[in-house]
Amino acid sequence: MKKVININFQGRILPIEEFAYEILKKYIDSLRDYFKNEEGCDEIINDIECRIAELCDDRLKKGAPCITEVDMNLIITSIGRPADFEAQDGFEASSSSNTYSTEDTMGGNYYDNEYSDKQQSKKLYRDEHNKVLGGVCSGIANYFNLDPLLVRILWIFLIGVNILGYLILWIAVPSTSVKEVGGVRKRLFRDIENKLIGGVSSGLAKYFSIQVWIVRILFLIPFIRFVVNFRHLHLWQFWDSPHFPNLLDITFSPGAVFVYIVLWLVLPEAKTSADKLEMVGEKVDLNSIKNTIQGDLEGFGTRAKSWGSAQRSARREARSARRDERSNRRNENMDENTTNNRSDNKGCFHFVGNIITILIKAFVYFILGIIIISVLAALFGLGVAGTSLLPLRKFILEDGVQNWYVIGAIILFIWVPVIGIVTAVVRKLAGFKKANLLIRSSFWALWILGWVCIFLFFSSLTKSFSKHNTPVEKTIALTNAKLNFLTVTSEPKMKYYEDHWFDLTPFEKYTDEDTFYVRNLRIRITQSKTDSFEVKIIKLSNGSTKEEANRLANNINFDITQKDSVLFLDRGIGINKGDKFRNQHVIMTIAVPIGKRIKISKKGWQQINMNVNGHGIRTERIGDIGFGNDSWDGEWNNSFDDESFSYNRGVEYLMTASGLEKIGRMDLDNEVGKDEDTSDIEQQLKDLKEERQKLEGDLKKSRSEKMKELEKIDRALEQKSNDQKDKKAVTNNTSVMPNLNNVSKVANKFGDLQWVMERFAY
Amino acid sequence: MDIQNTQSQMRKGVLEFCILSIIQQGEVYPSDIVEKMKLANLHILEGTLYPLLTRLKNAGLLNYRWVESISGPPRKYFVMTDEGNAAYAVLLKTWNEMADAVQLITNNTNNINTLKADQAL
Repeated sequence: MKKVININFQGRILPIEEFAYEILKKYIDSLRDYFKNEEGCDEIINDIECRIAELCDDRLKKGAPCITEVDMNLIITSIGRPADFEAQDGFEASSSSNTYSTEDTMGGNYYDNEYSDKQQSKKLYRDEHNKVLGGVCSGIANYFNLDPLLVRILWIFLIGVNILGYLILWIAVPSTSVKEVGGVRKRLFRDIENKLIGGVSSGLAKYFSIQVWIVRILFLIPFIRFVVNFRHLHLWQFWDSPHFPNLLDITFSPGAVFVYIVLWLVLPEAKTSADKLEMVGEKVDLNSIKNTIQGDLEGFGTRAKSWGSAQRSARREARSARRDERSNRRNENMDENTTNNRSDNKGCFHFVGNIITILIKAFVYFILGIIIISVLAALFGLGVAGTSLLPLRKFILEDGVQNWYVIGAIILFIWVPVIGIVTAVVRKLAGFKKANLLIRSSFWALWILGWVCIFLFFSSLTKSFSKHNTPVEKTIALTNAKLNFLTVTSEPKMKYYEDHWFDLTPFEKYTDEDTFYVRNLRIRITQSKTDSFEVKIIKLSNGSTKEEANRLANNINFDITQKDSVLFLDRGIGINKGDKFRNQHVIMTIAVPIGKRIKISKKGWQQINMNVNGHGIRTERIGDIGFGNDSWDGEWNNSFDDESFSYNRGVEYLMTASGLEKIGRMDLDNEVGKDEDTSDIEQQLKDLKEERQKLEGDLKKSRSEKMKELEKIDRALEQKSNDQKDKKAVTNNTSVMPNLNNVSKVANKFGDLQWVMERFAY
Repeated sequence: MDIQNTQSQMRKGVLEFCILSIIQQGEVYPSDIVEKMKLANLHILEGTLYPLLTRLKNAGLLNYRWVESISGPPRKYFVMTDEGNAAYAVLLKTWNEMADAVQLITNNTNNINTLKADQAL
């Protein structure tokens, strides 16, 4: 079964088999390539086309129903192929060795000759027939059997527009006139049949014979990076620890999206069967075209059976492809120049329109990709947060049904869609079919169940928090209320562990085995009516009933101890498993008399955060999450009621009649920290001093030893010289004298050295 | 020595002359030229013929005329121009001289060869 199409070719209507038409098109392209530089190229092509049309007509007149590929091959053989022109450039006597004229008339493929040609002579030529500038890139492409377009793109991207290199090759490499025209090589196409966005990835995959999803993942990595790097999207506020995004910090190329768009614009679509074959690099011969078309038809059959939007879009594609083909065919009616021009113009507009649509599409897909990845990231973050917070649930949740709600919410509302989206995306990328209806609908059902869970959970939790206690103000008696300067600081009471295996469980640092510390404390500063400091505490809590709230507020254990002028506060409010967290918090009011000074230390809060998390400001927030109230850390300088004054931590204030007045600067290091530092330095100093003393002792010892030695030598010298004098022996004198000199020199030097060392020690 | 190359050089040289000679006999359709040359045992591809004709036409040696055909669109027939006739005369003269010369030389060598062979016998 073969498809026959009608073409208007040089003023004749020819019924022609589709394969034969492909062959004809290829052939004319190859001729056009060959005669490109010939004067009167169009005329020659036109004449040849006329002749082909005439020959076809003859065949039809003889009774053939249509032009078959065999007919077309015979006609082409009789007219000759570019390779034949080049080889013989003329006619030949029948007596001479005839290499080709009848060789492949029977359905053979006319690329065979050229293909074997190319295999024989592997030389680097510039390809004059496919050139943009000098044909260097296409020459290289021919040499390596690549698509010239690929080489050009690589040339620009990798080497840059290396003009010098190009010029050198241009000059150095000889040009070829005909060698590879229309030869078999792979060409890059966009694979519109397997497209996801523009078909670029699948085209590339076909070209390099790799799986599509590999290419897609490579293009996707920058997307992921883009999202991950967008800190200000606040998607990572739970998990903005540096460990997490770094896992994805694989640089493929930040410009991959850009590359994709460029490729999309540049690569032609694989429209015809011949294109599709070229895309995978198969030899374009009749059998392979036949196979592909059969495959296409079968594929269409299965597609027709499938339902839904996929099919509709496929139809739309097919329709537009057909329309394109038709317009192409119109282009090929070179007979009528006017229509030709018109369609050229149209093609130009079409091209510009194409670019715009492609850019818009690319943008939309880019945004879509970012949204999907963001949602995924947010869900993933929430999921990890929720899961890692699960061990803490006994501090918050009532026993029983609430536990199930929260577990259900985390699994169904968060993890189920994460898994669903990931699988859907992976399936889409890998080009699998959509999951079946049952799986998809059960995913949706589970997610809806997740919504139910989350709703039930929050409603029951709100109920647990619904009532307030009756606030009771309690005055703390100060041992010495009349002092001039009061410092408020915190006492380390709570355990924390620095060697955590993973940084994703921030709350664990504030937990003992059965106690969980929250740092819900608000310190107000007001003006005292008397001349002494007054400290008052209000304990607040929520609960499901008023009684419960009151009980919880009474249970708050918050100690304040005074040591001279320093007020030490507990580091947090302990919450045990029995009591649960019901937003217990403490408001402490310090009334400062006029003319007295106060300072709320920064110490403790910041230090804890620095020590424990070590990530600076960003992670400082971790302590707040879920506990909406003012917390121990962070700066807040807005007064929250009429009576109290705003202040900054770590700054000394003087209470005046009109309010708080700043004295001195804010000390960035807290005072106790400084103490620690100085004690450290003192320790070091002490160590140094000890060392010095030891060294000095050593020196003295060695010095005295050396001195003794010197004396000994001196004595020996004297003795010797005396002996010598006595014996009147002059002969040995000369040899001994330098030795003596040396010894004294060494002694001098040693003295110097000692002096230097002493200086150094001081 | 590349024999094939020499062969094709030799053919190329006389190709245009042969074509001109056929056209000079009267108005002709390109495929007729191919047929006529085939009769003379000289094979030429239409793919080579068309560019050659175009070249000759552009050089002013040939002209063409559209002739209505029984079926389909009109066909292009080629005729000689005066200039073409003059050029043909020159080429013919050259060819005759050349043919004589070649004949003479090849015959002489043949004679010498046969002489040598005789002597050997």
